[in-house]
Amino acid sequence: MGETFGHLLNGFAVVLTPGNAMWLVLGSALGTVLGMLPGLGPTTGIALLLPLTFSMAPATALIAMCAIYYGAMFGGSRSSILLNVPGDGAAVASCFDGYPMARQGRAESALAISAIASFIGGMISTIAFVLMAVPMARFALRFGPPEYFVLMIFALAATAAISKAALLKGMIAMVLGLMLSTVGLDHQSGMPRFTFGIGELQGGIDFVIVIIGIFGIGEVFENLEHIAKAIVKPVQTKFGRIWITMDEWKRCIGPILRQTPVGFFIGILPGAGGTIAAMMSYNNEKQLSKHPEEFGNGAIEGLAAPEAANNACSVGAMIPMFTLGVPGSGTTAVMLGALLILGLQPGPLLFQHHPDIAWGVIASMILGNFVCAVINLPLAGLLVRVLSVPGRILYPLIVVLAFLGVYTINFSPADFILLTILGFVGYLMKKFKVPTAPLILASVVGGMMEETFRQSIMLSDTSFWIFARSPICVVLWALTAISIAWPFISEAMAARKKAA
Amino acid sequence: MRPNAWVAVTAIVFGLAYGWQALGLRRAPIGNPMAPVYFPLGLAIAMVFFGVLLFYSEARKGLDLDDKSKRPKFTLRGMKLILITIALCLLYTVTFDRLGFVFSTVIFLFAMLSFINGLARTRMNIVVTLCYSFGMWYIFTHAFQIVLPASPLGIF
Repeated sequence: MGETFGHLLNGFAVVLTPGNAMWLVLGSALGTVLGMLPGLGPTTGIALLLPLTFSMAPATALIAMCAIYYGAMFGGSRSSILLNVPGDGAAVASCFDGYPMARQGRAESALAISAIASFIGGMISTIAFVLMAVPMARFALRFGPPEYFVLMIFALAATAAISKAALLKGMIAMVLGLMLSTVGLDHQSGMPRFTFGIGELQGGIDFVIVIIGIFGIGEVFENLEHIAKAIVKPVQTKFGRIWITMDEWKRCIGPILRQTPVGFFIGILPGAGGTIAAMMSYNNEKQLSKHPEEFGNGAIEGLAAPEAANNACSVGAMIPMFTLGVPGSGTTAVMLGALLILGLQPGPLLFQHHPDIAWGVIASMILGNFVCAVINLPLAGLLVRVLSVPGRILYPLIVVLAFLGVYTINFSPADFILLTILGFVGYLMKKFKVPTAPLILASVVGGMMEETFRQSIMLSDTSFWIFARSPICVVLWALTAISIAWPFISEAMAARKKAA
Repeated sequence: MRPNAWVAVTAIVFGLAYGWQALGLRRAPIGNPMAPVYFPLGLAIAMVFFGVLLFYSEARKGLDLDDKSKRPKFTLRGMKLILITIALCLLYTVTFDRLGFVFSTVIFLFAMLSFINGLARTRMNIVVTLCYSFGMWYIFTHAFQIVLPASPLGIF
């Protein structure tokens, strides 16, 4: 414990250098704005801003990205409350009671409780992260190439199998992402694969291009369809004091404390994500409430619970990424990609080889929560003005930002063609309701997955049994099977409950 | 046909084509010659497998028995805007190095804003285009120290 505390203090020293502190504040503000914009959300926001971090030191880049992530999680609910339009999936549940509160003239309370609940959820889960990080990283040292390969299969399968309806389409998206990662020179034999004689493809398809194309440009293409007809809703920009009463606080503290652990543990699970955490916590509180009829009509608990859970979830999602080196969501996949670009190997050794970076980022989570709370309470009135920018101006600007971001990867405009193609693929995937998160996750871990697969095959002299030899592998296979079967099991359980 | 059946057919065709290409990959000169092929071949098999499963599950429901309101909607105006954007993106690719960041961005952004907003808002389109193009150029070259292509005029 003393060792952990010492590392954490060093982490604070890293964050509080002027450059890092500046990026922490800027990232939080930028993330809040990005999170507010409907359709963008944290994943696309981080993906679009990722290339900006290439010129930064690794610790600064990660601090900036984490700040953008938290800012986006805080900001996502602003448009839910004021416009009934969620910034991202995790903020959907905030519409249910946040918007009715605003319509009843209680926008100040709604904005305040969403920031306060997000702050408490984020802080408690960051403390849990601090306590869990070292033991998890130590445990992860037992992982060899076969365990890592099976762990990545588990993460991918869990992400793809998030719903029964989209299970097979999720699997197809996952395989497509892995296929994209095989393009380019084979790292071990040096043989070109799937390059079709195109020189630009020899270096492979950078996953940043995949992420920006599928999420960013795909989103713009989808919005272009109704952009011209879209009517900008008037946004309330003048507020009284953004704070809550003592009575409201008493009603909210219980739901916040109950749903924070729920969100945190959902975050650790690969694939589950903020949307599930928020919806589950909302339903939990509705079931526990003595006045469930108030839910959906401006119950402050109905806003506090999902806000606390989705922020706790975002912290929980960082645990597998930092300690195991395997992302469990689209956003952490982007951050893992950033770590790789910065020349860092995420996973248990990150804590041994670069403790300043690992603990600096953890300390930045704690400070970032304070910064986000400050930004989202007194400055809320100023920031929500962004919501009045119409999409017909915003989306062309996003396209330019996406191109500019992609250019900074290889300094080659040839990547623009790939970005446009991937954007169109992303658009079609959205149209046909094919989940995009498994593709992103697979394109990021694809290279590592193939590497660990081939290392394992080499170790075992081409015996595939190596993937089932250790107890860790067996447990991970079992978890993979459960995660694939879970949508069917939960549906059967719900049907039985209904019949009873 | 149901939208999911289209997804399934695309997956099967893509998986077969990818598998065909995987089989044709050059073998490794050192070590196991099949090493570069195993992983891609496994992916091709997985893609075809999931595609067939999806097609089968859709076929069981009846391929044509579909709720038309749930089908993806492609509007003429939307598709036109997307195709124009794609064409502008390709034009941007060609002009980016030749005209430099600022000039190519001014052309791209003004054209895109004009197509979306119409010529009635030309003044606003010009202001947004110029502010954003020069603003981004300034931020990237000065704040992030990233070298962007310069124009043939030698400025910007």
